[in-house]
Amino acid sequence: MRTYIARRVVQGLLVLWLVSFAVFSLVRILPGDAVLMQLDAAAAPTPEQLARARQELGLDRPFLEQYRTWMSGVAHGDLGRSLITRRPVTQELAKRISLTSHLAVMSMIVALLIALPIGVLAAVRQDTPADYVGRLGAILGLSLPDFWLATVVITFLAIWFHWIPPIGFAPIWQDPARNLSQLLIPAVIIGARLAAVSMRMTRSSLLEVLRQDYVVTARAKGARERTVIVRHALKNAFIPVVTIIGQQFSVLLGGTVIVEFIFLQPGVGSLLLDAVLLRDYTIIQGAVLFFAVVIVAMNLLVDLSYSWLDPRIRYR
Amino acid sequence: MKTPLSRPIALAVVALVLALASSSTPAQEKAPKTDAPDATPFAYAAPAFIKELDTRYPASPPVPPPPRYGGVLQFPATIRTFDPTAGYRPELALVWDTLTEWEATWYFPEVQRTPVIRKTLATSWEMVNPSTWIFKLRQGVRFHNRPPVNGREMTAEDVKYSYELLRDKVQYATRAALIKTIHVVDKYTVKFELAMPDPKFYLNVVDSLSPVIVPREAVEAPGGLAENPIGTGAFMLKEFAPGEGVLLVRNPDYYLKDKDGRALPYLDAVRIFFTKDRATDTALFRARQIDLMRVPTLDVLYALMKTVPDLQLYRVPSFGWGDYGVSLALDKPPFNDVRVRQALSMAINRDVVAEVINRGDATLYGPFPWGLAGYTKRADYSYANLGPNYQYNPKRAKELLAAAGYPSGFETELEWAEFEGWTYNEFVQLVARFWSDVGVRVKLKQLETSTWINKVGGAQPFTQAIAVASPIGAGPSFMDWAYLRFHSSYPRTVNRAGINDPKLDDLLSTWRQDSGDKRPALQRAVWDHLRANVYRITTIVPPHYRITQSYVYAAGNPYCWFPGYCSYEAKTAWMTDKAPTRKFDKFAQ
Repeated sequence: MRTYIARRVVQGLLVLWLVSFAVFSLVRILPGDAVLMQLDAAAAPTPEQLARARQELGLDRPFLEQYRTWMSGVAHGDLGRSLITRRPVTQELAKRISLTSHLAVMSMIVALLIALPIGVLAAVRQDTPADYVGRLGAILGLSLPDFWLATVVITFLAIWFHWIPPIGFAPIWQDPARNLSQLLIPAVIIGARLAAVSMRMTRSSLLEVLRQDYVVTARAKGARERTVIVRHALKNAFIPVVTIIGQQFSVLLGGTVIVEFIFLQPGVGSLLLDAVLLRDYTIIQGAVLFFAVVIVAMNLLVDLSYSWLDPRIRYR
Repeated sequence: MKTPLSRPIALAVVALVLALASSSTPAQEKAPKTDAPDATPFAYAAPAFIKELDTRYPASPPVPPPPRYGGVLQFPATIRTFDPTAGYRPELALVWDTLTEWEATWYFPEVQRTPVIRKTLATSWEMVNPSTWIFKLRQGVRFHNRPPVNGREMTAEDVKYSYELLRDKVQYATRAALIKTIHVVDKYTVKFELAMPDPKFYLNVVDSLSPVIVPREAVEAPGGLAENPIGTGAFMLKEFAPGEGVLLVRNPDYYLKDKDGRALPYLDAVRIFFTKDRATDTALFRARQIDLMRVPTLDVLYALMKTVPDLQLYRVPSFGWGDYGVSLALDKPPFNDVRVRQALSMAINRDVVAEVINRGDATLYGPFPWGLAGYTKRADYSYANLGPNYQYNPKRAKELLAAAGYPSGFETELEWAEFEGWTYNEFVQLVARFWSDVGVRVKLKQLETSTWINKVGGAQPFTQAIAVASPIGAGPSFMDWAYLRFHSSYPRTVNRAGINDPKLDDLLSTWRQDSGDKRPALQRAVWDHLRANVYRITTIVPPHYRITQSYVYAAGNPYCWFPGYCSYEAKTAWMTDKAPTRKFDKFAQ
């Protein structure tokens, strides 16, 4: 097991290096740069003035020299400074990571609270009204885009209740009431969509497991239906569900941009999108590296969880 | 955010007006309006709604109650950094001042002939000769009382330092480049030696493209102005929450007084939210979380007026920002032929464009702002004053194309992109439809927004034609709007259309050297030359809709409300006792 983990960590570091090089190269292929993108519409600089501004930001230096400087900083925990705000990238990322993590965890909790009970119920009561309602809910969750739902929710909250979630992020350990009033509604909107996927996966996976011989054996031995499902079927049915949840969590860290925009809760996703639009290379590099670290770590955790869920799985 | 019905309604209006427009095409005939009863209630209601709005403007706004101290004003804006050396936004004028600033009244056509300059850090100026200007500074102005500057008095050394610091920053480069050297004459006097004689130089230090005055200690401190945001402005930055917003608090030592001699500003604080979505802005306004905002379209205004009936509307005629037009590759055939450009302009029915883009609530737009050509009444904004090239005349357009050697038209590509505040998708479809009526087959090509910005800004060439807004100025300055944009000596990043016309250059150079007497006539001559040559096809410009909650007022000009270039209105805003009570200890409250 230790050998396996060590091997995966080394592979992960290699992936991170490749990601860092790829993102560093690709952002520089995009047309435009931070100097142009932050100009006020009324500004009218000459090419010489633009060149001076690029020189000031170090954008005129050779590609490999820029990459070497950046990687040397990364190795020392310094991701550089934003080309737009001139603030340290780590400082820009830190608060956004906190908000994104809050939103991702809350959304995932909401999703699991909805998906698991309904998915299990739909599988156990297959082709009954409960199953139909659950499946219909899942299709609705998949069909309604979260940006549409967020727009509708915020508009009607404002019209009917003259209220919208407060602006200005507060971590849950500092101000739990404010944190919940800020993030609960966005988390429910995001969670509803995630729940649809997880619920369908839970249902189909459980249905497959319930038809396995060992489940039939458990029933033949006179085990109670509840015991059969909870102790024998559910744990084995969770392997694909955990895989999906792991993927969803990774996607959540950067994939909630629209909801973040609408509820003015700026996480890493909106920071990254903004940086792409403004060609803020250092922020893009820092944010993508963060996502890569999370995805590598999450995949490792998911893989390790398989052996806990199914003791037949062994890593060497 | 558009109303849920806006797209089907827009499509219905497009279908209706195009069908009607294509059935009758005599020269100068106006497009049929959607006055007749229609299946789409808002399309039918729009003319009445516009008429209702017309009754509010230009009538004087209601007499506001006396100013009251206190309160926290909240509004949305998009600001990435509060550091004027890194990039400029009009909202930064709350913290940093320029030597002078425009009175907002120049928004009004009726007063655009004589825009008023407000004396902020400079109290007077004098032309020694066209290449040498002396500015006297206001005495007793202090920087914000924060370390490392600690409320030190602003002096001529600060002006010299700021101009020299910011001259290489792209945002200020156009203005700073006008100056060769700056001399400190005494503690409160600076002398500008200009790179080129300019008998109207004082007009070029007024607006937001002019360097703001910053203290050396703050710039040189660790983190620079981003972490030491110290200026002489009405507000001091208390907290900057990246991506979320900013909290500014009252500067107790601010030097400007109101007309009764009372200290400004009246507000305790200003909280700005960095919103990025229209739905968020409107929801914030409905929930009274923001007190003022700019409304993008008549649709949104209509929806807001239904749910917030007591809002105060300021319908501001646009000087020139936010127009809809098309730039052409002037150096390539067929667009290097003036007849082709004239034909393409004549092929567009601008009434229909106004109808589709903003329900008809828009004015015609020419080569540059009407006011700068001497058209100072709103009634002047007419087809008659734009001339035949701007009037819908497909028959004549076809004749011109045939005369230019394109009797069967030609194929072209029109590039465009989604851009916040504009509805280019509808605009380019209209243009393509109108051009196809005269035989010009248009292939629409949507670009990624950043690529489009590059092409529009002249940093990257576009292929044949591109949907654009006209290059703008920061104030009512002919230098910004016309001289820089049309003179062939400037590169494509400035003269974005790449115009190279010796006669136009002569007119502009004569204007530049003139002491002022002949400038109005020269500006009109430039207008006439440009409208004849149609270097850029311009169409319409919608007004600006600015709304406030019923408890918010401003001195200065109430029609020129934040967000925008009218910072004075935020400095002189006040709130009645009906305003919500808000804390201002920190941003997140």
